[in-house]
Amino acid sequence: MTKEITLDGAPDLRRIYATAALRRGNASDTLPDVRYSRAGIRLEVDDVVAYARVCRFPVTGTLPPTYPHLVAFPLQMSVMSGDRFPLPLLGAVHVENRIEVVRPVDVHEPLDVSVWAQDLRPHRRGRQVDLVSEVGVRGEVVWRGVSTYLSRGAEHPDVEAVEPPSTEALTGVSGGPVWRLGEGTGRSYASVSGDWNPIHLHALTARPLGFPTAIAHGMYSYARVLASLGPRLPAAGLSSRVWFRKPVRLPSTVRLRTVFEPSRSLSVLENVKGDIEHAVVENTW
Amino acid sequence: MASQNTPRSTPPAPRPPRRVAVLGGNRIPFARSNGPYAKASNQDMLTATVDGLVARYGLAGERLGEVVAGAVLKHSRDFNLTRETVLGTRLHPTTPAYDIQQACGTGLEAAVLVANKIALGQVDAGIAGGVDSASDAPIAVSEGLRQTLLAANRARSAGARAKALAGLRPGHLVPSIPENVEPRTGLSMGEHMALTAAQWGITREAQDELAAASHRNLAAAYDRGFFDDLVTPYLGTSRDTNLRADSTVDKLSKLKPVFGKGDGATMTAGNSTPLTDGASAVLLASEEWAAEHRLTPLAWFVDAETAAVDYVHGDEGLLMAPAYAVPRLLARNGLSLQDFDFYEIHEAFAATVLTTLKAWEDPDFCRERLGLDAPLGSIDRTKLNVNGSSLAAGHPFAATGGRIVASLAKQLHEAGGGRGLISICAAGGQGVVAILEA
Repeated sequence: MTKEITLDGAPDLRRIYATAALRRGNASDTLPDVRYSRAGIRLEVDDVVAYARVCRFPVTGTLPPTYPHLVAFPLQMSVMSGDRFPLPLLGAVHVENRIEVVRPVDVHEPLDVSVWAQDLRPHRRGRQVDLVSEVGVRGEVVWRGVSTYLSRGAEHPDVEAVEPPSTEALTGVSGGPVWRLGEGTGRSYASVSGDWNPIHLHALTARPLGFPTAIAHGMYSYARVLASLGPRLPAAGLSSRVWFRKPVRLPSTVRLRTVFEPSRSLSVLENVKGDIEHAVVENTW
Repeated sequence: MASQNTPRSTPPAPRPPRRVAVLGGNRIPFARSNGPYAKASNQDMLTATVDGLVARYGLAGERLGEVVAGAVLKHSRDFNLTRETVLGTRLHPTTPAYDIQQACGTGLEAAVLVANKIALGQVDAGIAGGVDSASDAPIAVSEGLRQTLLAANRARSAGARAKALAGLRPGHLVPSIPENVEPRTGLSMGEHMALTAAQWGITREAQDELAAASHRNLAAAYDRGFFDDLVTPYLGTSRDTNLRADSTVDKLSKLKPVFGKGDGATMTAGNSTPLTDGASAVLLASEEWAAEHRLTPLAWFVDAETAAVDYVHGDEGLLMAPAYAVPRLLARNGLSLQDFDFYEIHEAFAATVLTTLKAWEDPDFCRERLGLDAPLGSIDRTKLNVNGSSLAAGHPFAATGGRIVASLAKQLHEAGGGRGLISICAAGGQGVVAILEA
C-alpha cells in the first residue's frame, strides 16, 4: 500500500540539504513505497520570467518544457531524504533525465504534482534510481519527468552500461551555437531554480565534494539546449531525454551541435575543442 | 555579368502589380503599462504574437517572403528585433526579417512595405507587425556618463583612462529615461494636441462622447466574439486591460484635464490613450499563395499614402498629417471621403479624431491647406471605429497599425464586402493612411 504524503507548501530545500549531510543511506535494496504530492500549485509569473531569462526561453505565456521539473524537484528531495530511502542524497549524481510534454501548460494553470521513486537498480559504479514526477492540471496529466540519480558505491562491473544513442549522425554537423558560461552560472541558476546544491555555487563549496571548480547544473545545460532548439520542437507531444556525461566546469565555453530528422533531433553539448561530451539530448515526437 | 561586346537587350517589361490579400491577424490583449506584461520584453510579446498567428494559419515550418515589424521604444540590443523574433517562432528559420520604425505609424507602414513587395511579385506572403512596451522601456545612461565612458574606452594608457574617468560628476549618474516629447519643440504629444484642439474649438463633451463610444464598441465587439480569432490571451490576460465596458460620458466628464492650460483645457486621461504594452501581427499574401494554402482573403490591401507636416516652424498641428494624406489617397483612387463603409481613425486622443474630421469639413482648411475646390465633407459617424479603437484598447505605439488592419479586414469580410479607410497619426508630424476593400 503506497503511503501518500500531501504537502501544503514547498519543502524547505536548505533544511533538506542540511539534514541530508548526516544521512548515509542503507544497504536495503527496496524503495519505500511512498509518494509525495502537492495540489493546486499557483506559479508566480515573475518566477517563470526570471527562469526564462536565465535559460534563454522566450516569455510566451506557457511554461518552458523544463519548468515543471523545478516544481517537482523539492518533492524529489523529500523522497530522497526520507528515513528509509536507501541511497544518500548528498553525492547523488543526476545522470539522466526524461521529459514528456503532453501539452503546453499555461503559466496560470494550477498544477498538481506527484513524485515517487522506482526502479532501484545496480549501476557499474554503484546504484541508481528513477525519481518519477507527474504534473497534472485538473485531473489531466500534462507533463511527466523521470530523473535518474546515481549513487556511487560498490561497483557492479557486470552490469551493462546504458549508453546514449550514437552521435554518429552528428559527424557532419560542424556548426552550432557557442555559449560562454561564466563562473557565476551556477549561482544564477540556483537563484531561479531553488537548487542550491553546493557543488554548483562556487569552487570553495564544490571542492569538499570532490570537484576542483563549481559545475553547471545539469538541468541548466539541458534547459539551454531545449531553449535553443525551442521553435524547432513541437509544443505538444514532445519526448525529450538527456544523458549527462562529463560535468561542465565553470567557467566554460561550450558548443551545441544538432542534427534534425523528420521526427527526431539529436544534440550534443561539448567543449569547443570537441573532445569532451557534456550532454547528449534526444528529442522525439 | 554580360561582356562589353554583348549587345544590350531591352529590359523586360515590368510585371503588372498583383492584388494583395489580408488573410488575418493576431495580437495579444493590450495591457496598460506596468501591469500584467511589466516584465515581458518586446521580443517576448512579438514572439508570442507571431507564434499565435503561425498557429492560427498553419504556418509552422513555412518560409515566408519576409517579416517586417518594429518597436518605437527600443533597446539598442534589439537592433535586429524582428529577425531575432522570427528565430524564436515556429516559422522556418530561413524567413528573412527586418525592423522599421515610424513612430505610431510603424505597424501600418510595415503592412504597406510587405503589401508593396507582394504587389510587385518580389514576395508571395509576409507578416507585418509591431510591438511596444512602455513598461520594459530602455533607460540609457546620461549623455555626460556616456561621453566619459567613451573617452575612457578610447584611452590608450591607464593614466589617460584615469584622467577620463576623473571627469565623472554626480549628475552624470542620473539615467536618461525615454520621454513622450517632440525633440524639436520640447512639448509632449498631449501638449501639442491640446494646442490643436483649442485652435479647432474641440469641446470636452465631444471628446468624452468619442471616448465612451470607443469603450462601448470595443466591449460589444468582445462580447459578440469578434476578437476570438484576432486575439490570443497572454500571461493570463484575455481582454485589453484598459477597456471599461461601463464607461459613460458622465463618468468621463468627472476627470480632471491633464493637457492644456486653464479653463479651456479639455483633454483628460479618459479621452487620451494611456501608455500601453502589446503586440500585433498581420498575414498578407498574394491571391495565388492564399489559394495554395487554402486561406480566404478577408480584404484586399488597396493603396496607402504617407504625409508629413511642418509642426516645428510651420503652423500645422503635430498630429494633422493624416488630414493631408487622405485627400491625396482619395484623389489617386478616384474616391470621395464618403465612399467608405468603415473608417478607422486611430484615437491617439479623442481630439485628434475630432480635429481631423473637422478639418475635412472646413472649406478654408481644405482650400488653403489641401488645395481643394470643395471640402471633403463629413462622414457618417456610425461607420467610425465600429469595433472600438485606441482610447479603449490602449495604444502600444507600433502595434496599433496591425490591430487596425486585422480588425478592419475582418469587419469588411463579415459585412460581406465594402471599403474601409485607415488613418494613423505619428510623432514627428507624420501620418500613414490606407484603403482596404473586400
